[in-house]
Amino acid sequence: MMTGQDDNPPFRKVLIANRGEIACRVIRTLREMGIASVAIHHPVEARARHVREADEAVEISGETPVSAHLDIGQIVGAARAVGADAIHPGYGFLSENARFARAVDEAGLTFIGPDAETIALMGDKISARQFAADYGVPVAPSVMPTEDLAEFTRQATAIGFPLLIKAAAGGGGKGMSIVRSAEELEGAARHAASEAQRYFGDGRVYAELFVERPRHIEVQVFGDGKGGAIHLFERECSVQRRFQKIIEEAPAANLPAALRDEICASAVRLAAAANYRNAGTVEYILGADGRFFFLEMNTRLQVEHPVTEMITGLDLVRLQIEIAAGRDLPFAQDDVTANGHAIECRICAEDPERDFLPETGTILHLDAPQAAYLRFENALDRGQRVTADFDPMLAKLVAHGPDRAGATRRAIAALHDLALLGVKTNIDYLARVLGHPAFAAGDLHTGFVVQHKAALAAAEPDEATRDKVLIAAALGLRDFRDLILGVPEPHASIGLWRN
Amino acid sequence: MVLKLDLDGTVHHLTILARRPHLVVSVDGRRHVVQGLDEAGDGSRQLTVDGEPLAFARAGSADGVIVRLDGRSFALRRLDAAAEASAAGGGANVVRAPMPGTVIVVHKRVGDSVQRGETIVTIESMKLQMKLDAPRDGEIAEIAAREGEGFDKDAVLARLAAPAEG
Repeated sequence: MMTGQDDNPPFRKVLIANRGEIACRVIRTLREMGIASVAIHHPVEARARHVREADEAVEISGETPVSAHLDIGQIVGAARAVGADAIHPGYGFLSENARFARAVDEAGLTFIGPDAETIALMGDKISARQFAADYGVPVAPSVMPTEDLAEFTRQATAIGFPLLIKAAAGGGGKGMSIVRSAEELEGAARHAASEAQRYFGDGRVYAELFVERPRHIEVQVFGDGKGGAIHLFERECSVQRRFQKIIEEAPAANLPAALRDEICASAVRLAAAANYRNAGTVEYILGADGRFFFLEMNTRLQVEHPVTEMITGLDLVRLQIEIAAGRDLPFAQDDVTANGHAIECRICAEDPERDFLPETGTILHLDAPQAAYLRFENALDRGQRVTADFDPMLAKLVAHGPDRAGATRRAIAALHDLALLGVKTNIDYLARVLGHPAFAAGDLHTGFVVQHKAALAAAEPDEATRDKVLIAAALGLRDFRDLILGVPEPHASIGLWRN
Repeated sequence: MVLKLDLDGTVHHLTILARRPHLVVSVDGRRHVVQGLDEAGDGSRQLTVDGEPLAFARAGSADGVIVRLDGRSFALRRLDAAAEASAAGGGANVVRAPMPGTVIVVHKRVGDSVQRGETIVTIESMKLQMKLDAPRDGEIAEIAAREGEGFDKDAVLARLAAPAEG
């Protein structure tokens, strides 16, 4: 990690249009660079960590806390009022909002990210896909929506099988099917068309190549805005639940070097073609046959950026700030090297036994392990209420190791030692995922959590463990302790005193 | 005193069998010698149980205790005499939110008579609508739910009047 104060900081003061762990993460780098930080907050989070850690804080209002964090006018106004020269959007909220980037620009401030046009281009699935295809980035072959079933069948057969067929207008799985041979195609297309007509009043059908057991591979890129771009290797984010990543790692497991180079090169090609400025991530799906297809480009810092930082030794937020200030990329592609392996676990307030539904509560006890090879990215406080106001992600635990097995062992040990009590979390579940033989083998795909559901369920504790838990619990109850210490029972039993 | 603790739906009974020379606790009839009594309160703690060191973390929750032991967290609910009285009464008298969400429709008003199973409020959580029903026949004493408002898991959304004596 690059550290030390910058002799000539590119900005004097930066406002962070975000909250939680990512706001604290950005503040850390700003402090290292000798740049003043400004936090924003809704009244309900006036005492939050990011507010306390920033040099200044501005209250923003909104009917809900989230609406305050999405209020472009108030946020840009706050930045001007405190004399900030730049805004870092973090991830989520307004980070991929082209109107926000434009408003920051028009206020005479610097948006730490790409320009508004690039955000808009990549934010639209159709235009992004077309742009990628135009520059030779592979996109999943598809048949554009049509009502002409003969033409549809001809084009679909040309793509090959398996194919995913669905109503062009629809959702909810209506008329959707996976077709594995030419014989099934016509019937499936006819069925999809009639379902499409019945449910959506639009008989057009659509088909694309269906990737079996797809892996999610993404490439971290940086562009200088002048056609220069480099990559900082790939990340694998195949372990997902409810279509959201829960475990990310760098580099990807068992990826042949030639394929890795090809994927990374295609991401750089896309960034260069777009004159991409600042940090971005090009996401792909990778099939078991080694074919990979463009999914989308995220025009911001990713939640999982720490795994890239841990293997490259670079500070991505510092790079973002330097590039936003108009400086050149400080190194060439060949200067970027990867060392070891890093794994990130997203710790969420949720119940893995109940389909990962979000949980609420109060953080009663927090004790996180510390080591040079660990990062526990969080903005948690003891006594903090975990509500449904914000995303259920509470923290990220990131472990580095000399190789994948070593990083996995360290992550499992760290999850084991992480005590976060008062709200149900997925901590123990994540440890079971990392301990599963299929994870160790690198046999990953986006259906991993569903495929291994039974094996990943919590085992019943044995009797000896249960008794220990009960004893430990009983000794936490004041009146039970009073009994042990010989306080007369009638006195000890008054009320239900609790710690 | 018998301490009753619910762990994953099973109720366990704890009693003190001896205090000296060592603390001996019975858990569902099994004897355990406990030494090196830990500090009271929340945090990382250590005990010796049956001669073996035991490290764990503990925190008192609204209705019991949470214990983290050997990389797993366990939530225990207290069910002894006093707690049982209020929980049983409370359990039969209140409609609680099973998960955080938003109130969509309030079907009943204070003073309305309801039969067991009648819907009192409809909530939405994770884009899923769910009806919350009366736990028994009775009269609505309180409606805490307001349409459009959010709530946390376990929030009391409605309360029935206590049944008449006799």
